[in-house]
Amino acid sequence: MESLQTPSSPDPDDRKTKILVNVLFKGVGGAPVLNRNKFSIATTVKYQSLLVFLRKQLESKANDPLFTYINGAFSPAPDDTISNLYKCFSTDGMLIVYYSSVPAWG
Amino acid sequence: MASSTPTATTLFRRLCWDGTVPIEVKIDSKELPAGSDRTLESFYIRAPRVSYLPLLIQEVKTFLFDLVLDEASAKDMKTDDWWFEAEGGALLKWHWPVGLLYDLHLVAHPAPDFQMKPFTIILHLASPPTDKLLFTPSIETCKQSFMGQLKEADFLRWGNTKRVTGLRKEDQDGLWEGIVEHNFDDFWRIASKIAPSPNPLAPPLTPNPSSPTLPAPSSRPASTQPPSGSDRDNAYSVRSVPVRIYLPDGPVIQDLVPPFLEDGLPHSLNLFLSAQLPLLFKPSPTSPLTPVDPNAPKSNLAFALIQGVIAPLDCEMAWLGACMSGADGWVNVCIGLDK
Repeated sequence: MESLQTPSSPDPDDRKTKILVNVLFKGVGGAPVLNRNKFSIATTVKYQSLLVFLRKQLESKANDPLFTYINGAFSPAPDDTISNLYKCFSTDGMLIVYYSSVPAWG
Repeated sequence: MASSTPTATTLFRRLCWDGTVPIEVKIDSKELPAGSDRTLESFYIRAPRVSYLPLLIQEVKTFLFDLVLDEASAKDMKTDDWWFEAEGGALLKWHWPVGLLYDLHLVAHPAPDFQMKPFTIILHLASPPTDKLLFTPSIETCKQSFMGQLKEADFLRWGNTKRVTGLRKEDQDGLWEGIVEHNFDDFWRIASKIAPSPNPLAPPLTPNPSSPTLPAPSSRPASTQPPSGSDRDNAYSVRSVPVRIYLPDGPVIQDLVPPFLEDGLPHSLNLFLSAQLPLLFKPSPTSPLTPVDPNAPKSNLAFALIQGVIAPLDCEMAWLGACMSGADGWVNVCIGLDK
């Protein structure tokens, strides 16, 4: 699996000491489908960086509307870490992030 | 206020809600337009703990426009570009409650004997570092962030966000309006539909049946087993209490915090902190079932500040979730180091 590097630590050696967790992206509401939707992400990555990464995968521009929901339920604060979100909201060893170009929930 | 909410719970919620913090807003004089009155560089506010920085801007704006700026500059001034920084250069998060910003400042810069000193913040009038602030600084994005936090807390408690999303649109907006207007009754009339309540009727956990069974604020179900799922609003029935730990200049820690531990005992602040921060908090000697970390300190090296109060470590997590959470449903625990 491809790994998302934290922008602040591009050093490949640093990667070995990192804890990686599985993140699954699921499109809803007519959002484009990803060729690959499962990634290993470092736990230190912030949610905001994950969104930048998702945009890159979707080839969407920074201003295109993108709404994301953990477990199809809520949008976390962008400065929350993947570590915290994975500990609290993962299902069967996977953090599931739903994405849509229109507001999809509540 | 819902009549089913116990008086003690209402009291604690009221105390948290009424809490205010003193703030000194200094305007970055380099960014003041020519013609401004530079002798008035500070503005003092008592801000509600449950408020947010964008909600303070209106008051600061009135001060600035009436007293500091000349008419022409006031006309051109755009509050959209305003942003706040702590003295020393740390950015202040728009989406964190003011009380949390204050408590975190307090544990990072402890004053002798914990004097209540104003928290000095710098107001910049131009060039917001949007990449670092994470949000376009506006009241609308602040509201969206608040609703997101409310839903995240709801999901942690019950495994879904039905309590929040089940509210009518006007009630969802009413929650935010309650914060904007700092109106306890308006806010809690709606919030009591989603917030858990400590069970007031169950007798306290006691091995002696003849002892008085008056409901204490931290009363808990008589059984050491978690109560059945039918008790839908009980703070002790939640899957997890929404709690975050804030360390001075450190990361924010969040984890699942069940109201009961595997041994059936209620989860306490001491057990939670000694598990998360074993180098700072030692496990309570009253819980022999907890394995003792050999690296644990002989006595606690730190303290926990919740809503500006040094919290007793025997507080139960479920009780904290029901009585000491912020308006967004989260219990924010700021850790300060003992000297």
